[in-house]
Amino acid sequence: MTALEAVSVYLPPERIPVESLAGPLGLTEMQVKLFRRFHGLREVGRDPDASPQRLLMKAAAGLDALRGQEHRVRYVLYARTMPVVVPYPANPLHEVCRALGLGHALAFTVTHQSCASGLLAIDMAGRLLAAGAAGGQDGQAGPLALVLSGEKAFTREAQMFADTTIFGEGASACLVSAFGTRDRMLAYASNVRGEFDNATGANDARLQREYRPSLAEVMRQALDEAGVALGDIRVVLPHNVNMVTWQRMCLLLKFPRDRVLLDNIPTAGHVFCADVFANYKTACERGLLRPGDRYLAAAVGAGGGATFAAMVFEH
Amino acid sequence: MTAQETGLDPQFRQRVVDTMTTVLDRLLDRTEPVTEDMRLMEELGLSSTLGLELMLEVEDQLEILIDVEQMDADQMKTVGDLATFVAGHSQAG
Repeated sequence: MTALEAVSVYLPPERIPVESLAGPLGLTEMQVKLFRRFHGLREVGRDPDASPQRLLMKAAAGLDALRGQEHRVRYVLYARTMPVVVPYPANPLHEVCRALGLGHALAFTVTHQSCASGLLAIDMAGRLLAAGAAGGQDGQAGPLALVLSGEKAFTREAQMFADTTIFGEGASACLVSAFGTRDRMLAYASNVRGEFDNATGANDARLQREYRPSLAEVMRQALDEAGVALGDIRVVLPHNVNMVTWQRMCLLLKFPRDRVLLDNIPTAGHVFCADVFANYKTACERGLLRPGDRYLAAAVGAGGGATFAAMVFEH
Repeated sequence: MTAQETGLDPQFRQRVVDTMTTVLDRLLDRTEPVTEDMRLMEELGLSSTLGLELMLEVEDQLEILIDVEQMDADQMKTVGDLATFVAGHSQAG
């Protein structure tokens, strides 16, 4: 069963108040107020001197479990919100693989599900490992995959989703095994809605209406598949889109708000595909997860269509 | 003004209705005035984003803080429903 062996996250220490972004992003005073008052976005992280490669390396540097185990890494997956993040022929993924001593691994990017690509990459990594792991069911010695995520907020489109969220920079590195026991993935559900392609903006109002019910549906689908009741979920690790969306999700799901980890939204913003991993680390640091606890990670990728995704784990 | 979780103050609620309809007239750029019985989504086409902007304007003008955490947007069908919620879930700002 797919499992997370280790997770490392880098969030830049430099924080930019949302008011300081008003000029560059062309935000009105009302939009700034909305972001702060209702969306709960006070500031976002930025690392102006770090390239995409450097962001990923800073996350990977905290992955102690990788050291000495590089030879076991068979795949490196780079989960991304944006299809393109550097000019050709630069490729931060291959640069990172070389720097980490993973040049032997098959490396590729997972994208086109926007901010839900991170959960897809975890599922894909586990499936690839399981498919190729003949006799490798020993979690101590079996093959591994490294799932990276992290992007620069390098264009206006990559800095903000109008009236919804502001993106922060950061990165995550996650070591995945096919048969581990540490954080076992019990189920993964996703729903790709191509009709919400934002090329025309024609369906924006419909997406707003269907956003929460669609996310709730995919969360229930993952829970059903895992055979876990929502009430037995210790903590929900959300995507950091904004506070009000999750406050309303809690009302819709009848789930206590204090069991949704919203701590990072005000200070980190929406860190592309890295949100759930950052929130996992925070949950561990706060002692919210005990052995045997079930938790649920949820993400929505909106942009070129919309993808609603949920993953249930056992800690 | 104090929190009004129990027993709405009808005068305060009316102030909320008056403020909301005035703000909606402007936000939606309507020629016909907005009334209390109008349906927010079906009739006025109010999006989630505009709904939040409406709440922010009401907060500013009435100098209150609305407890949006308790707001179940799906239960707010009409302008009047929303005004009742605001009147019952707000405190001095």
